[in-house]
Amino acid sequence: MDDSTPPPPAPPADSLPPPPPPPTMTGSPTDFLKGVVGKRVVVRLTSGVDYRGLLSCLDGYMNIALEQTEEHVNGLVTNRYGDAFIRGNNVLYISAAEPL
Amino acid sequence: MDSAASGIQEPFDLIRLSLSERVFVKLRGDRELTGVLHAYDGHMNLILSDVEETIMIVDQVEGSANGQNTVNIAKRKIDMLFVRGDGVILVSPPLRT
Repeated sequence: MDDSTPPPPAPPADSLPPPPPPPTMTGSPTDFLKGVVGKRVVVRLTSGVDYRGLLSCLDGYMNIALEQTEEHVNGLVTNRYGDAFIRGNNVLYISAAEPL
Repeated sequence: MDSAASGIQEPFDLIRLSLSERVFVKLRGDRELTGVLHAYDGHMNLILSDVEETIMIVDQVEGSANGQNTVNIAKRKIDMLFVRGDGVILVSPPLRT
């Protein structure tokens, strides 16, 4: 038996270059929340209902005040509110709907 | 950092500005209320008067495709109501000028 070792697997020549790193977001969750105040956001509740609107403000309970709010259920607009107060315990996440 | 023109600094300001106004309240259990807001606290316990409650009852139709469900809507009126805060999902004040 010759002791030739198998060559290390070469990366396939036609493989895609590695994707660019995602834009570096440094900062705490609090910094994120400060950054999205005044921006358009999507607020998803644990029930699966989405609220899209302009984030006026929020507090430590994650109670949220939204303006120009649209309520989306299964992708359909089911209600519109000029202003809306959302009680924080119902919030699953807050997503920025425009670049920060 | 100043919040929009409304001058709201914290979410409860939205509720404070709605005192004595008719508000829409979305509750757990597919219930909605409209009524005049008299008082609230930090739990979002509410006192409402002249309330109309709307209850959405989805009847599952056995053996039929999804989407065949019928939604029954029941309404009732209540003169004066205390709402426990933990049932509240959303409160919307009347459209302000």
